[in-house]
Amino acid sequence: MIEIQVPTGIDGFMEDKEVAKNLRRVQIIPALEQGEVVVLDFSGIKYVTQSFAHALIYEALKRYPDDALDRLEFRNCSQPVKSIIELVVDYSFDGFGSEAVTTA
Amino acid sequence: MAKFIIPTNASIHAAKSFISKSHFFEYPPKSASLEFDPRWMYTEPFAVSMLAAWAAWYKAESVEIKIENLSAKADYLWRMGVFDYLPIEYRPSRSEYEEAGRFTTLKQIITNEDARNAVADISTLPHLADSPEDLAAVRYCVSEMIRNVLEHSGSLQGAFVCAQNYPKANPPRVSIGIADCGIGISAHLSRKYNQARGNDIVALQLALEPGITGSMPTGMYGSSDNAGAGLFYTRSIAKGTGGYFMIYSGSACYRLKRATRAMIEKQKMERQIKLFPDSFKEPHDLWPLENRWQGTVVALEIRMDQILDFGEYVTWIRKQIPKQDRTSRRPRFT
Repeated sequence: MIEIQVPTGIDGFMEDKEVAKNLRRVQIIPALEQGEVVVLDFSGIKYVTQSFAHALIYEALKRYPDDALDRLEFRNCSQPVKSIIELVVDYSFDGFGSEAVTTA
Repeated sequence: MAKFIIPTNASIHAAKSFISKSHFFEYPPKSASLEFDPRWMYTEPFAVSMLAAWAAWYKAESVEIKIENLSAKADYLWRMGVFDYLPIEYRPSRSEYEEAGRFTTLKQIITNEDARNAVADISTLPHLADSPEDLAAVRYCVSEMIRNVLEHSGSLQGAFVCAQNYPKANPPRVSIGIADCGIGISAHLSRKYNQARGNDIVALQLALEPGITGSMPTGMYGSSDNAGAGLFYTRSIAKGTGGYFMIYSGSACYRLKRATRAMIEKQKMERQIKLFPDSFKEPHDLWPLENRWQGTVVALEIRMDQILDFGEYVTWIRKQIPKQDRTSRRPRFT
């Protein structure tokens, strides 16, 4: 298992895609290639942008669709961070739909 | 001759009138003039950003810009930093202003470091620092807009961004503007979507839909760096707060309408808002324009009286995005 502390950005707001790309290329994908479990620790982060989360995990989900979610663990996520990660997981596997939805 | 006219009112509300007065670009570029209104000028951030991007482009083309009607009414533009990009010196009519205006001055974004600094700089907007939820919303939008330009515009001069806080206006809001003189949305998307080729209206419609990006796959796993959801999120935040969202590229301009007081009350009463993936199903204005903008302009407003918890907004938007047949795969949170 390898643990990666995601940098906290500006006051807990993380948006720098270059950081995400670097983590993906240098740590996440190589670790998954070797069969490791990867723990992404979001402590200290309140918000990430969808673009940041996409750059961080999308490739891993597409490359290992069968077991990426078993081997990726998201630790210490705030509710907004959880929502963004769930969104990226949703469209990575299922794509975007096209009809409007109304939620209460 | 190309002409950029700053009229008395260069607001998102009066955008069509403002844009229609000018003739921003001519090909090949030979001469250009900038005309200020001598009476007074009310200029919102998107127009400030457009002016800086336009001036930087003509400078790169080695075309001199002729300045007309420069007067003391240009103090605001000076404070925003526009004159850093114009071929003329300007002395403000007053030597002192209140410390820290309610704005962030123009930033030219070319590198990733520029982008990071611009997002950080937003926290210097007075009143926002005391309102972390509003600040998060503004940061989110600025980041997505800037990253979009950095990756897709193809502009050598990068993009220009600035913001203004209007805490006492009706409605109280932060207005953000970003402009570039790059390849524009139609050229970007037409690499993957043939229907966007030469059709700026179709291109705008596509660009605002979640999941649409002109980025080419970076490998056998699709585009690892782009999902094409940034603009969708940005307009969703604007809609959620009831503010304007406008995008102008080539000869088309789309403007999501501001919510009326009645609409906002209805949303609160019914506790629901419809969010359409197809932006053309939203209440909007769509203008085919003779005056082309080479590149892309995005303007948006985030109303400060509507966001109690930005985290809830993020969750709400996610729930609004329609899904294909959903698998049951869930991320593991610990």
